Amino acid sequence: MPALLLPLLAGAADIEAGRRKAEVCVACHGPAGNATLPGVPSLAAQPAMYVFFQLIQFREKRRNDAQMSPFAANLNDRDMQDIAAYFSAQQPTAPPFVADPAKAAAGKIVLDAHHCGSCHLPGLTGQNHIPRLAGQHYDYLLKQLLGFKNGSRPDIDGTMSMAAQPLTEQDIEHLAHYIAGLK
Amino acid sequence: MSVQMTTVFCTMSRFAASALFAFAALTAHAQQQAAQPEAAPAPPPSWAQGRPPELAGSKLAPNPPGLTAKPASEIHLDKIKLPPGFQISLWAEGMPNARSLAIGKKGTVFVGTRLVGNVYAVVDRNGKREVKTILKGLHRPNGIVFKNGALYVAELSRILRYDNIEDNLDNPPQPVVVFDALPKDEPHGWKYMTLGPDGWLYFNIGAPCNICVPPYTHAQIARVNPDSGVIETVVRGVRNSVGMAFHPTTKQLWFTNHGRDWAGDDLPNDTLHRVSKKGMNFGYPFCHQGDFLDPELGKGRTCKEFDQPALKLGPHVAPLGMRFYTGKMFPAEYKNRIILANHGSWNRTKKTGYNLMQVTLDASGKVKKYEVFAEGWLQGEEYWGRPVDVQVMPDGAMLVSDDVTGALYRITYKR
Repeated sequence: MPALLLPLLAGAADIEAGRRKAEVCVACHGPAGNATLPGVPSLAAQPAMYVFFQLIQFREKRRNDAQMSPFAANLNDRDMQDIAAYFSAQQPTAPPFVADPAKAAAGKIVLDAHHCGSCHLPGLTGQNHIPRLAGQHYDYLLKQLLGFKNGSRPDIDGTMSMAAQPLTEQDIEHLAHYIAGLK
Repeated sequence: MSVQMTTVFCTMSRFAASALFAFAALTAHAQQQAAQPEAAPAPPPSWAQGRPPELAGSKLAPNPPGLTAKPASEIHLDKIKLPPGFQISLWAEGMPNARSLAIGKKGTVFVGTRLVGNVYAVVDRNGKREVKTILKGLHRPNGIVFKNGALYVAELSRILRYDNIEDNLDNPPQPVVVFDALPKDEPHGWKYMTLGPDGWLYFNIGAPCNICVPPYTHAQIARVNPDSGVIETVVRGVRNSVGMAFHPTTKQLWFTNHGRDWAGDDLPNDTLHRVSKKGMNFGYPFCHQGDFLDPELGKGRTCKEFDQPALKLGPHVAPLGMRFYTGKMFPAEYKNRIILANHGSWNRTKKTGYNLMQVTLDASGKVKKYEVFAEGWLQGEEYWGRPVDVQVMPDGAMLVSDDVTGALYRITYKR
C-alpha cells in the first residue's frame, strides 16, 4: 500500500496508549491478554477490528455480559481502538488446556465439515472482525457456541447463529477440544 | 437446517420459509421431515458458497461491516471528484451503519441501518443538523418508507408502521405490525423498501445464498398493501435488489440487482432493471445479466427464457440505492436521470465500484448513457467510505449515505 494513503485508513490507533487503557482489562483477561480465569477469553493476537467491534457491541448493549458490559459502557471509540491495537500486538502464550485426543480428532472433522476456516481462516487465526479461535479457552468456546445455537449470543450479521444451528452439543464439545488445544 | 436443492446447497435458517405462501411453507416442512440434519453436510457460509474448488485458497472475503461513526477527520470528501459546478459537503455524522434514506413531509431525513438495529432521524434546525436515534433494537431495519405521516420500517421478516412520526421523534409510538410473515433467512434477508404510486410497499426477498435454486418465496421483488396486508410477487429471478425507485413520469419500477459471486473477476455484471409488467423473470439462478448462463445451474437452459436487464452496471460493483433526479437545483439535463450508489466490490482481485453513477434515459425509457457522477471513496485498493443510498432533497440537492463513515453527504450545484 502506498504510504501516501495511510492517513486515509481508520485512524492510526496508539498501542502504547492502549497498553495503559488496558490495565483494567488485564485483571481478568490476563497479562498481555492471555487469560487464565475460567470462562474469560484470551485477547492476545486477536484481530484489532474484532476487539474494537465487540467492545462496541457491549457498549451499545447488543451483546451483554454482567462483567464486561460495565467496562465497555464508559469507553469511547478512540479508547476501544487503542485497546484493540494493544491486544492485537501481543503474543499468545501456549494454551494450558490439555485436549482429549479422541475428542479433538472428532472436533477437527466437525471443523472441516462446517467450513469454520472459511471465515476464521485455515489456522483459525481470524481476520478483520472475525475472531482468532486458536488456543481460545475451552469454557469460553463452549459457552459461545451453545449461545449462538440457542440464540442467547447475538452476532453482528447472523452468520455464526446460522453456522451453529446444525451443530449438536457433542459436535460443540469436540470442536472446543480441538480449538482450545491449538497452539 | 440445510436443504439440499438440485446440485448445490442453499443456506436457510431454521425458521426459513415461515409462511410467505402456504405452499412453500408446506414444501419446506416436508423437506425438514425428510432430512436428517445430523447426516447432511453443513453448507459453507453463504458468501463462500458457489466458490469453485480451484479458488478454495482465494484470499477474497466480504469487506468487514461498517459499525462505527468516523470522526470528520477521517471523512475525506476532498478526495471526491464530481462534474464541474458540483460540490459535496458533510451534512450529518454520528450514525453508525447509516444506509437507506427517506424524507418526511416536514423535512426530517430518516436513515435505516442493516447491522446495528437503529433508525436515525436528522432534523435541520437553522442550518445545524440534529441527529436522533429514534428506534433501537430492531432486527436489520434496512428498509424505510415515509407515507401519510408514518414511517414504515422493513426489518428482516416484518414490516412495522410508526404513526405521526415527525411529531414524535423524541418519543416514537409503539409500532403497528403491517406484515410479519416474511422469510427469516439472514443471507440477503435485509430489505430495501420503496413506496409505489399505487400506495403499496415494494421490497426485495433476496436469494438465501450466493448461487442456488432458491425457494419459491425468494429471489423476487414483492409488494404488500399496507392497509389490507395482501402480499404479491411483482417480479422473479432477482438475486438481490437493495435499491429501487419508480420513474417519475412512466411510473414504472426500476431496481438495481447484485449478480452472483465466484464466477470470475469480470462476470457476471451487476444489473439495472426496468419492470414494464408484473410477472417478469430476470433469470436468476439460471441466467445472469441477461446473456450469461450460470456455469452450473444454466445447463440445459437458455437466456432467451428470461427478461433482459436495462443495463449492465459492471462486475461486482454492488449497486445499492438509486433515485431519479427530480429536483430543480442540478442542470436541466439531469432531469429524470438515475443516480445510483455502487457500494463497491469484494469478490474481485482489483476493487471496483465505490462511486455514484448516473444513467441517462431517452424519452422511451431506454438507457442512453452510463457514466460516473462521483468517485473517490476508493483510493488505490483502499476505501475510506462506501456510498449506500441517495435521496433528492426538497431544495434539489442530493443526499448520500455512507455505512462505513456513518455519515450523510450533501451534493449541491452552483453555476
